[in-house]
Amino acid sequence: MTALHILVVDDEPSLVDVLQPVLETAGYRITVAQDGRSAQAAIEAIEFDLILLDLGLPDIDGKSLLQRVRLDQDVPVIVISARHQEAEKIAALDEGADDYVNKPFEIGELMARMRAAIRRHSLSRAEASTYRAGGLAIDFPTRRVTLSGETVKLSPKEYDLLQTLARRAGQVVTHKRLLAAGWGAEATDTQYLRVYIGLLRQKIEQDPSDPCLLLTEPGVGYRLIGTG
Amino acid sequence: MIDRKHQRTFSQPRAGALSWRAALLAGAVVLPSWFIAIYAQPGLGRVAAALLFVLGVVICGALGGLGAALAAATAAFLLYNFYLVEPVLSFEISTGRDVIPLLLFSLCAVVAGVLAARLKDRARAADDSYRQLSSLLEISRSLQSAVRVPDIASALDDHLSGSFDTLATLFLVRDGTFDAAVNGPSDDIGLQLVRKAADSEDSPREEGPYTVYRLDSAAGFEGAILFGHGLSRPPDKAFMSALANLIALAVERAALSESNAERRAQARTEELKTALISSVSHDFRTPLTAISASASSLIEFRDRLDPAAAERLLRGIVSECDRLNRYTSNLLEMSRLEAGQSLARRQTLGVADTMSAIVQRVRPRASHRRIVRRMSDEDLLVNVDAALFDLVLVNVLDNAIIYSDDGTSIHLDVGRDGDFCVICVSDEGQGIPPDDLERVFTRFYRVARPRPSPRGSGLGLAIAKGFTEAAGGRIGAASPGPGGRGTVITIMLPLATESSPA
Repeated sequence: MTALHILVVDDEPSLVDVLQPVLETAGYRITVAQDGRSAQAAIEAIEFDLILLDLGLPDIDGKSLLQRVRLDQDVPVIVISARHQEAEKIAALDEGADDYVNKPFEIGELMARMRAAIRRHSLSRAEASTYRAGGLAIDFPTRRVTLSGETVKLSPKEYDLLQTLARRAGQVVTHKRLLAAGWGAEATDTQYLRVYIGLLRQKIEQDPSDPCLLLTEPGVGYRLIGTG
Repeated sequence: MIDRKHQRTFSQPRAGALSWRAALLAGAVVLPSWFIAIYAQPGLGRVAAALLFVLGVVICGALGGLGAALAAATAAFLLYNFYLVEPVLSFEISTGRDVIPLLLFSLCAVVAGVLAARLKDRARAADDSYRQLSSLLEISRSLQSAVRVPDIASALDDHLSGSFDTLATLFLVRDGTFDAAVNGPSDDIGLQLVRKAADSEDSPREEGPYTVYRLDSAAGFEGAILFGHGLSRPPDKAFMSALANLIALAVERAALSESNAERRAQARTEELKTALISSVSHDFRTPLTAISASASSLIEFRDRLDPAAAERLLRGIVSECDRLNRYTSNLLEMSRLEAGQSLARRQTLGVADTMSAIVQRVRPRASHRRIVRRMSDEDLLVNVDAALFDLVLVNVLDNAIIYSDDGTSIHLDVGRDGDFCVICVSDEGQGIPPDDLERVFTRFYRVARPRPSPRGSGLGLAIAKGFTEAAGGRIGAASPGPGGRGTVITIMLPLATESSPA
């Protein structure tokens, strides 16, 4: 199996100096782009398996780079952002980024996100028909949801939300995407979403007040834990 | 100050002064009329002589006002009776026929005199009110540009003493007590009057040669204005009250602009705090991320990382910690400089000695760049804050390292120019675009670089500028340098005055 090829777009030499040797040690092949322009050039020339994109590049904003990527490629993108870039981060996720990590991060966290994003992509190509994690199982063709073998009865809307989350298991799904999945693209009131997430948790979590399957990403969206 | 106070005291205006002047004037005008009437009477006839007297009375009225007119009319009546009415040279009247002309003459003299006097008084009143009005205008014009209390007082002084025999003293409440602003006060009576005005709402209040007006603003009692009147008539009440209102407004405005300035200073401090906090969140995160990623990688891949890579990660952690440490010092010193605290920590430093210590510390970060030192033979001494001096030079040298390629040279020249120690740091790096040469000294300003380079805190040169200026020196940037590339940062610090060894 050839090594997965990862594009690291980051203008901070100190961070690149860490990521490159460590990710190479972990078995990835790394290409580094230090600004938006060279990132674009690299994307046009090579088909990457994953892009790590640091927001706040000197020459181009992450969102327009994402738009460029999404024009002709379905490569998973993980955004690296600082807390003060919240708005930019959400915009990037809405624009099609798969996930994000906040600075500072630990390498394990970053690599888990990378694995989830890569897995989802390879699965979505094969159209996975089931989700299974933490006792929760979803059979997409029959819309059957079970928790430790027991059938869970969900309303159609609850199921739509759960399916949207499960299709991107392990990755954050923004409020906007979840609202679009449940109520259509023009819905904006996250209040509905909170209510339905609450109902879902009542049905699938051991302790709905301390969820361990369906996690909240404050201000951004929700995350269903990844498989395996 | 004492002399000035004395100059400003007044004598009581004398109530009789006016009528004495009127009597003198009446005499001066009526006596010639009398002589002419006596000596020319045989030729002119009594009617003409009487008309001469009336003319005299009119002149008196016109020149001296009502008092002079009445005095002249009385004198004319007596003289007419004495010299012109039979029997001549006596106040007796011989025939009833003579009474009517005498009475008519007196009536004419009085009426003509009074009319002339009233005309005169009107003209004078008009003149006065014109003067008062124009000086009100002038004062209000100069008050417009008076934003501080002393300016208000001096505007008041200039205009009032120029055109009136009146002085105004401004008393303002400061911290609950009065303090006489600029134009020092009169005497105890005046001060007492002001105190009374402060205690009661009555305004104006008069006593002796003084009139006091309260100055009230929306915020409450601001102070009082005390008018002291000289020998002539005081300006009228309407004038003083209008003036007091103007002053009250000006005082209120001065107070507002003062508190406004305070608020602005506060806002600037807030702004700095916000900027510092955003700098912390922005600039601390990158080194922290590198440290966190390196350390967690070392834990996670302990066995799989090759020793050289592990070594590099560890070195990276150390250098990022160093970077964090410098950021912290920069932030701390920046806020210290802004608060003006650096002056207290000055000491005399030998420049050459300090520089070599600094270069030693910076050298590990320079990798293959050569740091070439050229020191003056003299031992130059400067009187500065040692911690800041150190930080500033480390910042400038770090910039030279960061923005130049490995293998180039960095020159550090220390020399003397008159009473200044001149420190020049020049590199062979990317240089600074001409438009940015001034702005690089602004807080949080960073030059937009075409190629990615490590981003500093945007504080280094701002601190350098703050430091040199606080020490009485100058700092400048030039780019390109002598070799046609790179940047030259020149720091000039005043040499310490040689203290003889004890």
